[in-house]
Amino acid sequence: MKKAFVAAAIIALSFGSLFANGTQEKGNAQPEKVALRMSWWGGDSRHKATLDAITAYEGKHPNVSVSGEYSGWDGYYQKLVTQLAGGTAADVMQVSPEWLEELMSKGNVFAEIDTNAVDTSKFDKRLLDEDCTYDGKLVSMPNGISTQCMVIDRGLLQRSGIDPDTVWDWDKIISLGKKVHEKDPSCYFNASDPETFRYFFELYMAQVAGGIVDDDKNILCNKEQLVRAFTYFKQWFDLGIVEPFAQTSLYYMKWDQNPTWIKGKSASAFCWTAIIDMAGKQNMDVTRLPIMANAVDTGVRMLPAQLFTVNANSKHKQEAFAFLNYLYNDPDAISTLGICRGIPANSNALDQLSSEGKVDPVYSKATKIGLSVVGKKRPNLQLNTQVMQAMQDVIDEFAFGKLTPEQAADKFLNNLQNVLAEI
Amino acid sequence: MKNNKTKGYAGYLYILPWVIGFFTLQLVPLINSFIYSFTSFSILGSPKFIGLENYRKIFTTDTDFLQSLLVTFKYVVMAVPVKLLFALLIALILNQEIKGIGAFRTLYYLPSILGGSVAISVLWKFLFMKDGIVNRFLSLLHLAPHDWLGNPHLAIWTIGLVTVWQFGSSMILFLAGLKQIPKVLYEAAKIDGAGPFRIFWKITLPELTPILLFNLVMQTINAFQDFTPAFIITQGGPMKSTYLYGLMLYDQGFKFFKMGYASALSWILFAIILFFTGLSLKSSSSWVHYGDSI
Repeated sequence: MKKAFVAAAIIALSFGSLFANGTQEKGNAQPEKVALRMSWWGGDSRHKATLDAITAYEGKHPNVSVSGEYSGWDGYYQKLVTQLAGGTAADVMQVSPEWLEELMSKGNVFAEIDTNAVDTSKFDKRLLDEDCTYDGKLVSMPNGISTQCMVIDRGLLQRSGIDPDTVWDWDKIISLGKKVHEKDPSCYFNASDPETFRYFFELYMAQVAGGIVDDDKNILCNKEQLVRAFTYFKQWFDLGIVEPFAQTSLYYMKWDQNPTWIKGKSASAFCWTAIIDMAGKQNMDVTRLPIMANAVDTGVRMLPAQLFTVNANSKHKQEAFAFLNYLYNDPDAISTLGICRGIPANSNALDQLSSEGKVDPVYSKATKIGLSVVGKKRPNLQLNTQVMQAMQDVIDEFAFGKLTPEQAADKFLNNLQNVLAEI
Repeated sequence: MKNNKTKGYAGYLYILPWVIGFFTLQLVPLINSFIYSFTSFSILGSPKFIGLENYRKIFTTDTDFLQSLLVTFKYVVMAVPVKLLFALLIALILNQEIKGIGAFRTLYYLPSILGGSVAISVLWKFLFMKDGIVNRFLSLLHLAPHDWLGNPHLAIWTIGLVTVWQFGSSMILFLAGLKQIPKVLYEAAKIDGAGPFRIFWKITLPELTPILLFNLVMQTINAFQDFTPAFIITQGGPMKSTYLYGLMLYDQGFKFFKMGYASALSWILFAIILFFTGLSLKSSSSWVHYGDSI
């Protein structure tokens, strides 16, 4: 009885597969069905806008279906690399600019962009050449332009007796900035978490020494310059310019989630212009980052906010390029996507969105301010995770008062040398 | 006879899903990671054989290795005994015959169902942050607030509390053990005039030692591998004071993508856990009592 049942089940299953084959063959007569996968990270507004654009594309191209694989930022990179290694990565992938070099050097994972299929004419050439290219090949497309600025809380500055229109330099941050904490000990001039504090440190070092490391594994700064920087930043902690690390380390890479910032008790923050909405909107204005007189380089960076790449192992590269072209250049797509990936890097798209009133004035202002002082390209190696960690470890110890400026400078150089020798 | 044989097959059939899972999802990665531990492997390229280089680096130049090993030992030495003590204490209370005891047992087990999850870690962050509930409570009592998670000397203990709080599974085992202790022993002791403390030391605790051994071994293994609370709450900070071994392993593997190095680290952890498990089992002959050996 049981045997008969099993036999029947097997027969039924094989019929099932026969039918399945049948329908597939029928489908071949029509234009081939293509299923693309696209992965990105972001917040809800980006997810919704992208999914809407995908639906519109599918409507125009009934033979193509695009499935979105989206998540928040946390863990995205880990998942992406694992998928690339396992050969299961999506056809179109959103990646962060600093990963491009790291991933391409380990394996040829992204396809060269076919410029006949994707119209690149409206993109800034410098951006394409410097940040989207690997080994002379265009392997990615920039989504938005992101540069750096300082977000300020006009209200808190005014209440602390500081002119909110001050153009900041490093000395003014000390002489004026300390007033915030003096006036109210629970308030601070700057909202940096340990990581954003490192951005300030790197900014300072770029202005003093032109940078920290270059792509040929040379260290660009010397001990004296580092001592100068650490001595300067010691005042940030001594005078309450910035909240102690004991409180901010809990918000590592998430300064915007620190209650001190949320409650409006920090007057300024280092911010990439593409994610300025993260900072919240109350009393918010933007200004230039501090720049010293006679700076070797302003240290202010411009990067594509994120990149789109096509999987080198994709079976449908041409379809993926066509889809990318739609996202970048189709007026409907531009309108649907808006500024969900920052100020568009495509000048046509920017013009269109501006005329539609879809570009928040704060974004425009921040981008303009950032671009007016943008400096040299930051070497890729300075964005290497191990190099960043080597710098961060010393900065953490220094901020907790475990190292004097001299000791910190020595350890900083020593850590960097060790890491550079290993990479 | 034939019937027995069929029964045997059925048993194998039942464990087949586990066997398949073990061979494909555990044994193969286990062997692979051992091989990778002798290679330089960045996950995207192909692994390059470098002999014992990873192990040499770990033991000679890697300062993070020592730091995280130290942190992990601190964590294990604190979290495991406190957790077991807590579990035993609650089990003793819940072993009383009072009304509604079932509801209490369920309530005390709840934290363990929630597990070492992300949500609990986030909750912990809100409890112990600067303006968190714990500090507010302290200020109500006119006590000084602390940076529970920001002070490098305190953070590891605060993180350890997450584990301690999840004492449910150990507690259930203790409770089951308590139920197993023959009532005659207690009755005899009472007739002989023993007080509650003497009864606990002379009867309850010795009778529970097999369960204690099991809990000790399991919780030690778990504590050495703990990852989630430190990853979510402090990310190893401040100043690497909560940089648990699991976290360092993750960083090497999935932040720096040094898979060979991370594999070597995981085999060292395996050896450490094996050593302490062996030590617990070996020492058990002198303190664990089985059945009527009292």
